[in-house]
Amino acid sequence: MTDLVLTGLRKTYGDFVALDSTDLTVEQGEFLTLLGPSGCGKSTTLAAIAGLDVPSGGRITFQGRDLYNAETGLCLPPEARNFGVVFQSYALWPHMTVEKNVSMPLELRRVPAAERRARVAETLELVGLAAFARRYPGELSGGQQQRVALARAIVFKPPLLLLDEPLSNLDAQLRLQARSWLKDIQRSLGLTTIYVTHDQEEALAMSDRIVVMKQGRIVQMGRPEDIYGTPLHPFSAQFVGSANLLEAELLSVGDDGLARVRLPNGPEILGHAPLPLTGAGPVSLVLRPERIGLAPVAGPGPVNEIIVQAGAVSYLGEGYEQVLDLAGQSLRRKGERAMTEGPGRIQVAAADLLVFRKD
Amino acid sequence: MAASSALRATDGGRSQAVQWLIWLVTAVLMLAPALPILLQVFVDRPLYDSGWQYGFGNITALLTSPAFGRALLTTLVFAALTVVIAQAIGIFAAIVLGRTDLPGRSLIGGVLMWPLYLSHLIFAVGWLIAYGPSGLVTQFATQIAGGAPWTLYSVLGMAVVAGVSQAPLAYLYCLYGAVKSVDPALESAARTVGAGPFAVLRRVTLPLMLPSIVTSAALNLIIAVETLSIPLFLGRPAKIETISTQLYMLGVASSTPQYGLIASSSLLLIVLVAATLMLQRLILRHSHRYETVKGKGVRTAPLRLGPWRWPLALAMWAFLALGVIVPVICIVLRAFTSFLSPLIAPWHVLTLDNFRQLFGNATLVRSIGNTFFVSIAAAVIATLLAVMIALVVQRSNFRLKGSLEALAYSPRVIPGMITGIGVFYAAIVLPPMGWLRDSLWILVIAYVMAALPLGLGVIQPAVAQISADLDKAARSSGADWLAAMRRVMLPLLRAAMAGSFVLLFVSYLKSYVIAIFLMAPGLEVMGVSMLTLWTNGEVGVTAAFASLQILGIAVFLTAARILMGVKLYD
Repeated sequence: MTDLVLTGLRKTYGDFVALDSTDLTVEQGEFLTLLGPSGCGKSTTLAAIAGLDVPSGGRITFQGRDLYNAETGLCLPPEARNFGVVFQSYALWPHMTVEKNVSMPLELRRVPAAERRARVAETLELVGLAAFARRYPGELSGGQQQRVALARAIVFKPPLLLLDEPLSNLDAQLRLQARSWLKDIQRSLGLTTIYVTHDQEEALAMSDRIVVMKQGRIVQMGRPEDIYGTPLHPFSAQFVGSANLLEAELLSVGDDGLARVRLPNGPEILGHAPLPLTGAGPVSLVLRPERIGLAPVAGPGPVNEIIVQAGAVSYLGEGYEQVLDLAGQSLRRKGERAMTEGPGRIQVAAADLLVFRKD
Repeated sequence: MAASSALRATDGGRSQAVQWLIWLVTAVLMLAPALPILLQVFVDRPLYDSGWQYGFGNITALLTSPAFGRALLTTLVFAALTVVIAQAIGIFAAIVLGRTDLPGRSLIGGVLMWPLYLSHLIFAVGWLIAYGPSGLVTQFATQIAGGAPWTLYSVLGMAVVAGVSQAPLAYLYCLYGAVKSVDPALESAARTVGAGPFAVLRRVTLPLMLPSIVTSAALNLIIAVETLSIPLFLGRPAKIETISTQLYMLGVASSTPQYGLIASSSLLLIVLVAATLMLQRLILRHSHRYETVKGKGVRTAPLRLGPWRWPLALAMWAFLALGVIVPVICIVLRAFTSFLSPLIAPWHVLTLDNFRQLFGNATLVRSIGNTFFVSIAAAVIATLLAVMIALVVQRSNFRLKGSLEALAYSPRVIPGMITGIGVFYAAIVLPPMGWLRDSLWILVIAYVMAALPLGLGVIQPAVAQISADLDKAARSSGADWLAAMRRVMLPLLRAAMAGSFVLLFVSYLKSYVIAIFLMAPGLEVMGVSMLTLWTNGEVGVTAAFASLQILGIAVFLTAARILMGVKLYD
């Protein structure tokens, strides 16, 4: 069942377009992540859904009801939307105890005192903070504050949970734990969740579906596996999994999507076009660093053997990363072993070399 | 799409009603006193008379009066000299006390602040008792030098008294706005590229102080233009008139007040003040060049003065002793004696007569009660109003918040005396305000209006420091704007509100100019009573009254520091 629908949603600040006519639907119980670099419009989208910011045009409906509609001039204030919001800064009220912070949404909804106490206790139990009920936010660690923020957002059983980079203020170790903990709670409550992050690992690990955004537009949406495995835009490939980007000239395309391209001042190679591509012209090639082989690979489809100049090596622990020079363009390669510096050969399957029309 | 551009976020019906109410109260409070003055400028007779004729008669009368031209020139010379003296002392003190290893610098800084807690009136009284023509110190000096070595009854004398009394403002702005907030890394950076400590002061610290210097200079200029007691006490005996004394003579001392002239001179004062503020803005339009990002760097070690330490400390103490401590001691001494003379030791003329006279006078005693009532009521109301205005301006989607802020800050261009005149006019012209004329509430209203920007100056930065996420979180938790403000913002603003209350209370307690035009039997306040006592030649009773006020302010500030944790100017 569809919960949330954004239709042609726009937000402009003067001439600057923060969000450009965006369509999006979110299913009930789904964990949807808006992923992109800062300024891509992900937080703008979240603020528009929460009612914290008024869009410039379009429409937002939730369970068939209008939240915002530019045509009719309707814009429900945040308190009328009944969504749980977790802020990047946690935004805990410093003058109230943990208990009071969590109980406030219930007080505002005029829940009777006895039921209020029970639900606050139950929610604090759920986030593992029952022992900290009487503490003030300033007396808690960052991870505990983040849990209070979540408790406050879910205590009134909102139909939609909105999270704005909730883990970005935690250190790396804690972030990893909080990730799975948050996902567990979301799944056990069956909460429809929209999650905003710029961290691709977080997005891949937690989401049912990822929406990759760039400069106010949706670049690609799909399951994490699809985003990583079959990027439909050079930007998704670059942002998720930090793929190499090369410039090339398209020579010809076959019906099977097999494309013949020529690198500037370099060799002709074979790649794969995931989207229909016609004619000649400049193209972008996308190649994941870990898909650059050293030994000839057997497998379906043709394999390119390319001569490169191997450069500086960095040791990463689980392997090596090395900079390669391919006819003047720079590539990063990841592998268990490094090449010796100087001229060498790499093996790239045509299926791993994605060809896109240049933007 | 046309509808979308007009669409704004709403704060809920209840909240919008409150926002409109706040706007309305502020608009009435600010416009009701300002508009009658404007009207009076163009009406040929007092507003309470019938048969108004409109015209520019008042303005031409003012501009063609030679006495007015002289007063304007005197005012400008006096104000400019005052600013030069106040800024020189303030800047020097900020650098020396904030940046060097001068011995006893915190104590020196504390005493330097005294004039800020006292009114110009008390300060002028103190200086006159010490250095006036028959002052204690003057008589000493005359005996030694065989002739009066100086006269306070001159424009320079006025400027020295006003300059010393306004130096704390320049000192505070330069100390907290610059010396203490400049990123130490900027100074360290200059050291690393080869600048010596004094080159750093001259090339980095001092230029970065420019916005603080300009801002405090503009404030001091405005205060000097408005001040009444110093020109009245020091200038008039020598027939030196400023615009403020002229206004006073026209409106209060005269039996037939010339309301047209009063209104036109008021307008001119307002224009002068507004021009000063605009000039300040013009000078500071590139102020981002002086903005420094605060670093976490360790404060560089204070500049070492070396052999200059003790001579400099001695010089500072000598200045404070002569400029601040002696005048205050003279007031207290005079309060407990029948007269002061170097020929007779004070303990031979000790007396409580001054206080007996003071407490035997029902009007004077009443003025103490009135002052406390008006100060407390106005400080509470102005603080609450400032909080509400700040929250609407900074934290709401209210349609008219821009005009609300402009209205709330408009008293900045209206000198205190003129606020009094305006409220007085409003009570005459607007029938619903007539009942106010015999009520202390007319003073409360004038005080609230005059000092609203001062309260906002404390509240607004405090609101800005509270993350907007906190009220957004309340909104998405189900609170409308009003509930979010009440439950989240108000509790977090408690300290700022206490600070605003203390600051306003003290400034009301020592104020005298606002109330001057509103005086009526039964409405006396301490400041105005003191002004009248002094002009009637009752030096001893004035000194007793001034001592009481000094004591009251000292006790109150100490209590505020201990009980509420409020430290003014810190």
